[in-house]
Amino acid sequence: MTMKQQIASASQKPIAFARDFFSYAIKGGNLYYGWLLFLSFFVIAGLFTTYVQMTTGLIVTGATDQITWELFISNFIFTAHIAAAAVLVVIPAYIYKRKDMKELAVLGEIIALTFVIIGLNFIFYHMGRIDRAWHAIPGLGIFNFPSSMLTYDIIVLNTYLAINLVAVSYLLYMRYLGQPMNTKFYTPLIYVAVAWGPLIHIVTAFILSSNAAIYSWKTAVLPFAFLSMAGASGSSLVILMFLLIRKFSKLQIADSVIDFFSQVIVWSLGLIILVFISEFFTELYSGTHHAASLEFMIDGHHGLDAYVPWFKMTMTLIVLPFILLLNTTIRKSYNSLLPVICSVVFLTILIEKPAVLVFPAFSPTPLGEYAVYHPTLIEICNVLFIWAVGFIMLTLLTKGAIGVLTGEVRDSKTVEAGGGAK
Amino acid sequence: MSNYMRAGVFYGLFVLLAGGVMLQNEATAEEGKSDAAPAQDKAGAASVECYESIKDSTNLTKVENANPKFGYPNVKCSPTTGAVLWYGDPYTDTVPMGEMPKFGDETDGDFAQAVIRSRTKHFKTTMQCSGCHPGTAQAAAPPNEPRQLQMHQDIISDASKLQHGRGAIWCLDCHNAANRDTLVDRRKNEVSFDESYKLCGSCHGDTYSKWRIGLHGKRTGEWKVGGKKRWWTCTECHNPHTIQEHRFNPVKPEPPPALPRGMSSSETSSKHE
Amino acid sequence: MSEDKREMVDEQDDGQVKESRRDFLKKMGVAAAATAAAPAATAKAVSIAEALQGHFELMSDEQKQKAIARLEERYSEQFSKQTTVANTPAPDGVLFGYALNISKCIGCRRCVEACVRENNQSRDPAIQWIRVLRMEKGNVTFDAKDLNAGKPSSSSLGDHGIQSGGHAGKPVGISGYTDHYYEPEQVPEDNAFYFPVQCQQCEKPACVKACPVRATYRDPNGIVVIDYNWCIGCRMCQLACPYWARRFNWGEPVLPSEEMNPKTHYLGNRPRPRGVMEKCTFCLQRVRDGRYPACVEACPVGARKFGNLLDPESEVRKVLATKQVFRFKEEFNTDPKFFYYMD
Repeated sequence: MTMKQQIASASQKPIAFARDFFSYAIKGGNLYYGWLLFLSFFVIAGLFTTYVQMTTGLIVTGATDQITWELFISNFIFTAHIAAAAVLVVIPAYIYKRKDMKELAVLGEIIALTFVIIGLNFIFYHMGRIDRAWHAIPGLGIFNFPSSMLTYDIIVLNTYLAINLVAVSYLLYMRYLGQPMNTKFYTPLIYVAVAWGPLIHIVTAFILSSNAAIYSWKTAVLPFAFLSMAGASGSSLVILMFLLIRKFSKLQIADSVIDFFSQVIVWSLGLIILVFISEFFTELYSGTHHAASLEFMIDGHHGLDAYVPWFKMTMTLIVLPFILLLNTTIRKSYNSLLPVICSVVFLTILIEKPAVLVFPAFSPTPLGEYAVYHPTLIEICNVLFIWAVGFIMLTLLTKGAIGVLTGEVRDSKTVEAGGGAK
Repeated sequence: MSNYMRAGVFYGLFVLLAGGVMLQNEATAEEGKSDAAPAQDKAGAASVECYESIKDSTNLTKVENANPKFGYPNVKCSPTTGAVLWYGDPYTDTVPMGEMPKFGDETDGDFAQAVIRSRTKHFKTTMQCSGCHPGTAQAAAPPNEPRQLQMHQDIISDASKLQHGRGAIWCLDCHNAANRDTLVDRRKNEVSFDESYKLCGSCHGDTYSKWRIGLHGKRTGEWKVGGKKRWWTCTECHNPHTIQEHRFNPVKPEPPPALPRGMSSSETSSKHE
Repeated sequence: MSEDKREMVDEQDDGQVKESRRDFLKKMGVAAAATAAAPAATAKAVSIAEALQGHFELMSDEQKQKAIARLEERYSEQFSKQTTVANTPAPDGVLFGYALNISKCIGCRRCVEACVRENNQSRDPAIQWIRVLRMEKGNVTFDAKDLNAGKPSSSSLGDHGIQSGGHAGKPVGISGYTDHYYEPEQVPEDNAFYFPVQCQQCEKPACVKACPVRATYRDPNGIVVIDYNWCIGCRMCQLACPYWARRFNWGEPVLPSEEMNPKTHYLGNRPRPRGVMEKCTFCLQRVRDGRYPACVEACPVGARKFGNLLDPESEVRKVLATKQVFRFKEEFNTDPKFFYYMD
């Protein structure tokens, strides 16, 4: 064979895999198309609002010099929650060798992959000069390592993206071909991914707590808060996805898997409550200037109390699901209360990011100003755009992966020849 | 699939319109704001009088294109208060500082390149004091008692209550009775209006020393020690006739900064109870 | 600034009517058709060479000259006036320092306005590098009839015990209320003093540490500068700064031609693009030429002192030697070269 032919035959299989994978992924019932269509509405609207932001600047968002982080970066923190929590699907399978989750580990990696990509998108929308992103590429630009915390984030996020991309495509491709995986290659990769998940989130927490001037972030409990919130919100998403998958696909997911994740939610919510209590006590007992942002959230400041209801709502909706999920019957109500509670936990922690963690932290500013963030429609449309693109990706990848796992997507020649086509 | 596409286009248009209306509102709100704001330094306006520290006392004429290389005016003035804000030429309207006494100690400043804005230069172009006060009538006019003045109430509203020296001094302790175009220090040495620091320094020795070494007062020009600087004299910042009321004449402040977007003034100006 | 004036300015640009940001927004508002409109308001398109240029400090002299020539051409065209972008080097043996006398400051904000005129800040949205805080003077609000209020008292939660203070719940005297937006008829006000804040030019700048691409760095004279062509707009420096000294160009900066200061420096007051950070540079374009910063020259009461911290004869060093000096927020350990003092 000539070189050209070799390349052609070598690339034949992956192309076939991609074709089979996506042609399966885009097939579905009315509900499936309805869901994709619903998401694509936001994509269409978001294309326009993205154009407005890219040509007019971040002035179309609600960000100001007083509150310099917008919804994008707040949402990024949340995507880091989910991306980090995705390892909770991998750990039981590969570390504790749970049989019921062995097959599902790849879904966890797909979640991680998707949410890292969503997070990176949010970072791009947060940047003032996307055209200069290459300045931060080591070698091409200047990389202020090890001083700048952002450089650590660039490293860990892109590494996590690469690990998951390789792991997911390798596993699915091998399943597609019906060949055994090279564990010498795959197992270490999975172990690195397991360690890397919490790592991206600890680094994200350090980016916030590295800012000495923002008192409510400058706290050692921040990584603990983030990881426990990751455990709660990530597991909620996993439960919702698994409940949908076992309802609408042939993939079998045992109750024991769901039970595992609802237990993780309980533990995580409990930890969140402990972290909050520690933080509130430390700040409020001494009542120094460091407590100003927290007092602003709890009481408002001279009538400026826009964050107060959000704060109360968030706290309630963290404590309430915790109490409810302590009950075994509720934890086992797979078709009624459990999905509702999971949705509430997911959305609460999503809303907590801008409304409790990010925006109120900027008041008072280092010069004592109090301000309230006013998100704009364009900003919200752009956030929805990024989420919609992310969820379309998640949906298609999960659907395709289910096809591979159930054997509906597989190399036809492999089936006939019962081996590699060498 | 075409139905879906149609729905998508419809939805997209809706969002476009909503976003557009919002932008439109923002734009009109901004316009309203900027219309209310006074016009900035008007280019090409004939002759603008601005003031430096004390209104109507330290006035300066804005000269367009004083620096032809950059098309600068000599100064830029505030459109809201008429105050001089920015110096294209820090030495505008200045003359070299006169001879300064040497004290031979650490209070000797570097006056080699010092310049000042001359007051006497402007007296000559307007009206000289000696035009009305030839210096003869008052030469022997005891008793030396403060009295109400018939004129100059714009400078001093009630001369019998001079706001300087807490009753210990009166007009002719500083103004030269023999030659009203000059001043006199405590030892009755004649002092030019340009050199008020010599007169002020005869009582306020400590402040004078600090001024000589650059610790007190204002200098513009070059930051280097020994560089060409304009030395601001005592009376360019302080009004000696009202100094007991306030150290500096009150002035109208420049406008406040813009509020953070989305915030109203009532939200930020709440006072501490 | 009025709308017609803006249009006048826009028309000056080589006779071509250009769109202001506001007009642009209006069009955007009318219909989606506006997607065809030109994106940038007053800015000239940046050449590919400029978009690909490296970090200023790492350029060769030849590259620097080219970069400067590109900018001069672009600015001169955009503002219809001859604009120079200097690359005056940092003078040797100089560490710049600043001292501000808070007992003199009358809160007139002339420094703020002078800074805007010198440093080509955007007028709309208005960017200001100096913020003057109005602080209320102390006054005792404690009432004599409250003297026994701190005695043990019981409540539904039980006995509060013995308190050492008279009135634990209520502040005695002033609690440091600051106002950024004061607007009295005249300043100084009797019951207030003023505290201007700008970049403190720290020796250990938290912002420089935070920048992922080293777009902001300390120059040999101790001034923290920004390469506006290298900044990626991530705003980590803004978060890191304990002095709230950094301002971001959220939108396309609007700077009318007739107000533009054409004497600029690459690292100082040259017009900035959208999406980058900016802040006080002690008027780098002036001080490298030997002149005082614009705020020093504007202060009508001589409250601002500037000079070389390495020269014992300089005004700042004399302030340090003879006055009671403090630095703002010393607990952040950033070692500012901006000193506050009192008479």
